[in-house]
Amino acid sequence: MLSIDLFPLLLGLSAAMFTVGAVGVLVRRNPLVVLMSIELMLNAVNLAFVDYGRYLNSEDGQIFTLVVIVVAAAEAVVGLALVSQVYRSGRELDIDDLSEMRE
Amino acid sequence: MTGVDILAYVVAGVALVSAAGVVLSAKTIYSALCLVGNMVSLAVLFLLLNAQFVAAVQIIIYAGAVMVLFVFIIALLDPGHDPDYEGPRRDPRLWVGIVAVGYITAQVFALAVNGTTYSKADHVLQGQRLAQAANPGDQHSFAFDPGSVNAAGNVQVLGRELFTTFLLPFEITSLLLIVAAVGAVYLTRRLPHAPMEPPGATSPVAALPEETAPEPGRETVGVG
Repeated sequence: MLSIDLFPLLLGLSAAMFTVGAVGVLVRRNPLVVLMSIELMLNAVNLAFVDYGRYLNSEDGQIFTLVVIVVAAAEAVVGLALVSQVYRSGRELDIDDLSEMRE
Repeated sequence: MTGVDILAYVVAGVALVSAAGVVLSAKTIYSALCLVGNMVSLAVLFLLLNAQFVAAVQIIIYAGAVMVLFVFIIALLDPGHDPDYEGPRRDPRLWVGIVAVGYITAQVFALAVNGTTYSKADHVLQGQRLAQAANPGDQHSFAFDPGSVNAAGNVQVLGRELFTTFLLPFEITSLLLIVAAVGAVYLTRRLPHAPMEPPGATSPVAALPEETAPEPGRETVGVG
């Protein structure tokens, strides 16, 4: 069993992973890498849920983690479908070029 | 510091390095590989946190199904070149966003560390108080006795909660899965008048022989 001193460490790891994922979403222009960065952010949130759930002796965090995993899978499926359709419509895979819906 | 703690430090380091690798890798497939490493190390952390079922689901669904989908799409599309490595973005709003993200994360981190400095006995007592206040006499409430959880088994406790207290979120999740599946099938249908040849690329997709000519209305029939 993990000692109680390590829970802030894991919370810090969660925050750091979330930051890395958010920066990836902001700076990368490859939509596949952007989707993977979103998965990274969701993973960081999962870690925080399980960490707090263990810390508070509650199973609710684990249940919400399961829900988040399902949502992440659905998001990945729809996002990858969009990416493949953008590619098949003959455009470059560049997030900055996909701005038709802006105005 | 026990051996488990040392293992947790090592795995946390692996998770952080692989998370950085997802963002910093020049090739998309390396990003996917780093993401798999990140998910596996997180599964180890879940095991250390007494969340065995979540660890198994993390391996099977995340590192298995979702990453296979990612690798499949990467192999299918094969972007050839990455726009990130032909020049940096020059939008100044980007840096404002990065600074804002870093600031908010530092705040969350400070809050998390300051909010978890009370002792273990305190939080066990607080959980028991909350449980008794919320539902006296009900053992399905907020706090679980770790001994009873270990006796019953993680999967049994999670399953009982999932089908009693959290039945509505569970059903909504299944609805979301159906919507995502139908949406993915609808999104990946063939466009009627789109050029199939991507610019300057000879991908396996473009090399495949064209299927039957798209008939009017055929793409909407194929959804249901």
